[in-house]
Amino acid sequence: MSKYLIEYSSDVVESPILSKVVVETGVLINVLRADIEYDKASIVVDIPHDEDRVIERFKESGVRVRKLEENIKKDIENCIDCGACISLCPTGAIYFTEDWSIEVDKGECIRCGACVLACPMKAMTIQEH
Amino acid sequence: MKTIKEINQKIKKGEAVIVRADEMPEIYEDNPKKAASEVDIVTTGTFGAMCSSGAFLNFGHADPPIKITKLWLNDVEAYSGIAAVDAYIGATQLRKYRDSDYGGAHVIEDLVCGKEIEVRAEAYGTDCYPKKKVETTVTLEDLNQAIMYNPRNIHQRYNAATNSSDTLMRTYMGTLLPNKRNICFAGVGELNPLANDPGYDVIGVGTRIFLGGAKGFIVGEGTQHSPDSGAGNLSTRGDLKDMDPKYVRGCNIPGYGTSLYLGIGVPIPILNEEIARKTAVKNEDVKTEIIDYGISRLVRPVIGEVNYEQLFSGRVDVEGKKIRTSPLSSLKITYQLLKELKELIEEREFYLTGKVESIPRKGQAKSMKLKKGTKTVNQVMSREVITAKADATIKEISALLINNHIDQIPIVDEVNKLQGIITSRDITTALARNITKMADVMTREVITSDLNEALDIVSRRMDKHKVDATPVVDKNNKVVGIVTIADIMRKEGSE
Repeated sequence: MSKYLIEYSSDVVESPILSKVVVETGVLINVLRADIEYDKASIVVDIPHDEDRVIERFKESGVRVRKLEENIKKDIENCIDCGACISLCPTGAIYFTEDWSIEVDKGECIRCGACVLACPMKAMTIQEH
Repeated sequence: MKTIKEINQKIKKGEAVIVRADEMPEIYEDNPKKAASEVDIVTTGTFGAMCSSGAFLNFGHADPPIKITKLWLNDVEAYSGIAAVDAYIGATQLRKYRDSDYGGAHVIEDLVCGKEIEVRAEAYGTDCYPKKKVETTVTLEDLNQAIMYNPRNIHQRYNAATNSSDTLMRTYMGTLLPNKRNICFAGVGELNPLANDPGYDVIGVGTRIFLGGAKGFIVGEGTQHSPDSGAGNLSTRGDLKDMDPKYVRGCNIPGYGTSLYLGIGVPIPILNEEIARKTAVKNEDVKTEIIDYGISRLVRPVIGEVNYEQLFSGRVDVEGKKIRTSPLSSLKITYQLLKELKELIEEREFYLTGKVESIPRKGQAKSMKLKKGTKTVNQVMSREVITAKADATIKEISALLINNHIDQIPIVDEVNKLQGIITSRDITTALARNITKMADVMTREVITSDLNEALDIVSRRMDKHKVDATPVVDKNNKVVGIVTIADIMRKEGSE
């Protein structure tokens, strides 16, 4: 399973692209996050299988597709490994390692920013793509 | 039976046996007698946000001299009503009153890091102290003394917090998701010094500790020390000049303000089997209560009891649901500082001291005495509420707003149950967007208040949700009154 950021420009924001892709490919795409404005939109989706086919269809529909890999960055200088962020992460992407260090599973992150707002040390930043 | 003198002799000879608090349970369970005779020192400690921290600074006299009455360090105010050139910088003092993420804790961290601090001072001028203004910069080295003196550190017990309300709360216990979706907890369980010596057998006035990476001392019980309810705490002192920036970190707890993450290590001398037994405490033995911070009163409801084994597992079972947990103290840095403390003792750089006075084992902090009772909603609300039904037209609502000189109207059903609210702003919106049905512009998620709620809480809620009025409802959601910002201000202003 991989997470992708789908960005709609103003030209296509009103078309039901996601529904079309689901119907046409038969892949049940899970929407993890959606930011919809009247002139643009972006959604974070989880594509469970047939990624290549699904992405191809998205691209043909005129949206921008990017794989989410480097979503959140932990500044190791600032982070004190307290764990204030752990319970706020909606996908459970932040966890403790054996030695109680904070680690982020970047593939699980959906760029919601909950950890950024909660960190007492300003150690978390969302990476720009 | 051992004495501290004997343990110090062992340290001198390099023979002291030092064990970390979390290693002690196994050693003790294996053979209590042997544990008591062979283990000399159990290291305990914590690295957590300690709001009640600060430092006394002495700047030396200026030429001509000044008797400072107001002082700012990097624009954070420090208390200077102590003689001429002394000040106390407190961890939670913010650069500005609100909305600043830099505070006294950061000034302390910057000093420890050797950074230059801007000093701005004012005075009224006297014959002996003619100078009235100072603007300069200092580093830690320039100060005669920089003594960390913390009124309240190392608590015997910390809380675990959750939030039953339907809005996210940003508290000193971290960010609490609505509807009890997470638990934040402070403290390090079995590593906590007072969990290992709950009866103050060895920890007392004069106990040498490892404070912020330097040698420091316990100077007494802390303020609000409440051993009667298992909530004792300690006051500490140490020299900022010897501290390590690793263990002195300014932080900003979002929505609350600044605080100081501070590392403290307390070595416990194992003088007898009783002390050994107490240091064999495990995470599962260290219990705390889950408190509902969704209720903003002094006495908040307790939702359940929990131990640190459960809290550190990442999930806690509450009312049949698994709730995820967030520690606020750092176990990783606590382990680092315990390792460093052990090395210092092994290198004969750190000897133990016996207490010169005991910490009080009895006592309970009182709550603040208020001369006036807390003002509640029913003292200020209007009981004559203008309401309307959901089928009213925008024109009818507009007429009601204008004729009654009001800015909002609660929408109710036939039995006066609250269904929504409409404000004059909603009417403007309706006009701008050509909306004719009132139901399309009214707000359905209404911010309400209860009859007996404290005004401070209601005005905080109105501030948070940016509303100018809140309908007052009874248990059945029936409208019994309305409180506006103007009502609250009138009440405040009349006193």
